[in-house]
Amino acid sequence: MWKKDTWVKPYLKQYKFLLVTVLFLGVCTIFCGAALMFTSGYTIDKSATHPFNILLIYPAILLTRAFGIGRPVFKYVERLRSHNWVLKVTSKLQTRLYKTVETDAAFFTEKYRTGNLLGLLAEDINHLQNLYLRTVFPTVVGVLLAIVVTLGLGYFDWWFAFITAMLLLIEILVVPLLSTAIEAGRRQKQKTYKDQLYTQLTDNILGVNDWILAGNQQQFQDNVQQKVQLLNQSKLHSNHFRWCRDFLLQVVLAGIFITLMFFASYRLTGSVEQANYTAAFVLAVSPVGEAILPISQGFEEYPLYKDSIQRLNDLQPTVQDLPKQAHLDPQQFQNLKINNLQFEYDADSPVLIKDFQQNLHRGQKLALIGPSGTGKTTLLQLVNGDLQPQKGSVTLNDINVRTLRDEQRNLFSFLNQQPFLFNTSIMNNVRLGNPHKSDEEVKQALKAVHLQELIESLPDGYETNVTEAGARFSGGEQQRIALARILLQDAPIVLLDEPTVGLDPITENELLNTIFTVLKDKTIVWVTHHLQGINHVDQVIFLNHGKIEMQGNPKQLYQDNQHFQELYKMDQGL
Amino acid sequence: MIDKRLFQLPGVKSLFQMLAGLTILQAFAILLQAKYLAESLVILWHRQNWHLMLIPLVFFVIAFLVRHLLTWLKDILLDRFATKSTEHLRQQSLAKIYAAGLQMTAKKGSGNLVTNVLNGMDDVHDYFNLILSKFMNLAIIPWVILCFVFYQDHTSGIILILVFPVIILFMIILGYAAQRKADNQYSEYVTLSNHFLDALRGLPTLKMLGLSKQYAHNVYSVSESYRKRTMSTLRVAILSTFALDWFTTLSIAIVAVFLGLGLMNGRIALYPALIALILSPEYFLPLRDFSSDYHATLNGKNAFTAVNELIATPITAPQKQLDSFTWNKTSQLTLEHIDFDYDQQPTLKDLSLQLAGFQKIAIIGQSGSGKSTLLDLLGGFLTPNAGQVIVNEQVIPNLAQINWQNQVTYLPQKPHLFSDTIANNILFYQPKAAPLALQKAVQQAGLTEFIASLPDGLDTLVGEGGRGISGGQAQRIMLARAFLANQRHILLFDEPTAHLDIETEYKLKQTMLPLFENHLVIFATHRLHWLQQMDYVIVMDQGKIVEQGPIEQLQKQNTGPFYELTSHMRGEQ
Repeated sequence: MWKKDTWVKPYLKQYKFLLVTVLFLGVCTIFCGAALMFTSGYTIDKSATHPFNILLIYPAILLTRAFGIGRPVFKYVERLRSHNWVLKVTSKLQTRLYKTVETDAAFFTEKYRTGNLLGLLAEDINHLQNLYLRTVFPTVVGVLLAIVVTLGLGYFDWWFAFITAMLLLIEILVVPLLSTAIEAGRRQKQKTYKDQLYTQLTDNILGVNDWILAGNQQQFQDNVQQKVQLLNQSKLHSNHFRWCRDFLLQVVLAGIFITLMFFASYRLTGSVEQANYTAAFVLAVSPVGEAILPISQGFEEYPLYKDSIQRLNDLQPTVQDLPKQAHLDPQQFQNLKINNLQFEYDADSPVLIKDFQQNLHRGQKLALIGPSGTGKTTLLQLVNGDLQPQKGSVTLNDINVRTLRDEQRNLFSFLNQQPFLFNTSIMNNVRLGNPHKSDEEVKQALKAVHLQELIESLPDGYETNVTEAGARFSGGEQQRIALARILLQDAPIVLLDEPTVGLDPITENELLNTIFTVLKDKTIVWVTHHLQGINHVDQVIFLNHGKIEMQGNPKQLYQDNQHFQELYKMDQGL
Repeated sequence: MIDKRLFQLPGVKSLFQMLAGLTILQAFAILLQAKYLAESLVILWHRQNWHLMLIPLVFFVIAFLVRHLLTWLKDILLDRFATKSTEHLRQQSLAKIYAAGLQMTAKKGSGNLVTNVLNGMDDVHDYFNLILSKFMNLAIIPWVILCFVFYQDHTSGIILILVFPVIILFMIILGYAAQRKADNQYSEYVTLSNHFLDALRGLPTLKMLGLSKQYAHNVYSVSESYRKRTMSTLRVAILSTFALDWFTTLSIAIVAVFLGLGLMNGRIALYPALIALILSPEYFLPLRDFSSDYHATLNGKNAFTAVNELIATPITAPQKQLDSFTWNKTSQLTLEHIDFDYDQQPTLKDLSLQLAGFQKIAIIGQSGSGKSTLLDLLGGFLTPNAGQVIVNEQVIPNLAQINWQNQVTYLPQKPHLFSDTIANNILFYQPKAAPLALQKAVQQAGLTEFIASLPDGLDTLVGEGGRGISGGQAQRIMLARAFLANQRHILLFDEPTAHLDIETEYKLKQTMLPLFENHLVIFATHRLHWLQQMDYVIVMDQGKIVEQGPIEQLQKQNTGPFYELTSHMRGEQ
């Protein structure tokens, strides 16, 4: 995984100076902590010799104070710097992720639609932040510190330096890596249990009314509790391991204490002056221990980071191979032709669209009806050129839409089931349709979709934030905001993907009336699921499993086709 | 400083006693560890033979290990307690979710609840674990150490005792400052942090608008302003940690200096001086631990609050007030002056109605008129605030009755399929039904062909993680469940066909009609074609029944709520 990684390693070279500062400050923090105890120990030992002049211990006293102040200051600056570095890298990572997803041709297919891939990817970047802050930095600082300590001791005695270095390495690298390896399987198992538990609990909550009617509270609670127990058991094993590991780390630390005691005993008892350093060396062990023991903890989340890094690295954008691009003035658009279209997502999935033909002139309106999963939305994506059909083509004035990708925004508008509203003001959301339009024109568009009164009654008026995912407005109102956006965009072809699904019939009627009034000059392809408002269109097609079951002008069909008549009557409740 | 609710947890008293005992032992281990370390260091300083150092060194190591073994032991105890307490809370939450039903839980958001019961409980677990151990350490260890240091050297003891309140004071002052600053920036902060996901989710829209490429600059600049914002908050937020560090290290330095001076003028000997110095960092350690984990426990504290709120919701599980009965063609249900008002649900006012036998009743009305709420009251998923319910002459306060609900089948707009096999989904009310009955239900629901097309047939997994299934087929599985549960004679429908395409709806309707026989049918709908199969209509508007009566009678009228609503729904076509 690490060999081909492009999401972590390259960024360690970013903002190098800042990174080096962070690591340097990290080492300084621990060094000061140790040095504080070192100089304190020396001060006391030296004072115990009753020196005739206070000046003799004065340097030591001064240093003690300096290190006492140095430690918190370095730590404070280090924390700020490290966060700053990580957040700078985060900005780059986020931009990169955005660009990667943006250029991915597979974006329009299932890949991003199923599950919560986008949410996961955004979360992965946060995991990388923690990887740096909790694992990478403390480990590197620990290793650097071990080098400093070893060199310092090596100045006196290489053997003791070697033993200490080994013990430090056990604390900093061996135990963390080993425990990660040992725990990896268990962590994986816990993740599986947790996913199962998540499914079970969601299932329980969403199906709670059925449980109530079944009168089975015991089972309702037990099926969650069983899974919780499995998870807890495994967690307990992990905890036992962790407690044991932490104790072992302390045993090793005791080893370092013993080593330094013997070091002091062998090397520092030659003279009175030397003996003044004995307490200094031994007392410095505690602060060092305090700094390096948590490294193992930082490694605990490693499996999580690994998943994230894997997922990001697996994100290989498929580049679109587009034909040479052409040009079409939207004013000149005359007709939209769909020729013998055939489409399937991949070889394994069924053929969604087969031999589909249609011809629409400027201003004509077409409705598509059919059960979910028959490829109606896919058809819209083929029409605007997002997807490449296996056979056939879609042309505007005989120009293939695949050669008009660069002009898509001038030719097509799209209104789907849940229009996406950005977390900004209404004004900004509508203006996304055409950034060059004036405030006045935006307001005109909002007036046309009958939102003027509502918006002007709000305390912030047009500057009202639509809040996340447009939660502030009702479904019908959100559609109207998106419709205003389309009006500003002013493209000749409008694709409607069930814009009224989930609305009550009265709201639906009103919205459809507005849509077809303000878009009366546009060419429209409208995917819908029932016949409400069907009289707005020139042509209706009933699709099922890629085949056309029935098609024609709705008024004509009502007269000629008994099945259509039945459906229409049912829809109207007649 | 410590949450009072913690003291109400079952078993917390005996845990506290045990923890206190172990912590006192631990404090003494720390003293012994310091004592023997100081002894060995004195021997070293006197440049005596290393053999002499061995005995105190061995005792030092023993004390050191005992101290950490005690930590281990405490961890085991705490973990056991935390797990037991969290599981208790989890059970209570689940019971409450069961009692509340989907209507209430939907208000809180099912995702939210899942988080409360899963991740929230993990946070609560950590909270119990950390807060109890850190609190106990802070309450015992520093004071034992202080006494000992005081006994060894008054000056050091006084320095240590003076610094403590100063640290607390500064941390409080700085903590408040940081809190204020963080609060001021919070909303902007949230906006910025959600921005990235917003941009990713909005990418298809941006693409359609031809803005996706240039929006990358926006992503970067918003990320950068998020960084600047975070940094400016952080600068203040970690000041309190800085203050703590500053005072502890500085007071260690001061203790060292005073000890040095004391040694020079012979006021104190080396051995007690070393003990005082070794113990100074240990004196501050519990406080540092407590404050460093303090922020980590905030999530747990919030989660604990959330779960307590959930458990305190005043809802009770279905009751047994209603005697066991079977709904038949002579049965009667009367609602009298029912009022309902809760949370953000539509309010119902003074509803009275009478249903009997195998009537077919339609409930119609605009969105938000209270159709679904009425249906939920009839299913016993919600309970009225006032009024009374009479079932076959027995007066009861509500329909949240076990013996009522075992008569009811409910089909919502979007049915929930359990993550299980199709067979088990159909068998949900009737797990022990005979295979033949199952086959018959499958056939009645018009599923035979569909099931045959699946490689695993009835054993196909559906729901979360299973095979995706169309809305029409999902409704058919629910119908099969209803056909199978033929001892349930009350059917509640809430817009079962609203989101289906017209052809699927048409076919599904043909399947549903036979089910209506021998059932009391209560059907809330926007789709007027169902009226043909009904014999009684209830028209609702703003939480009130504005008109009700036999359908033939209402259809003859050219005015009134029924006439207005239905013509409005059809549109002017």
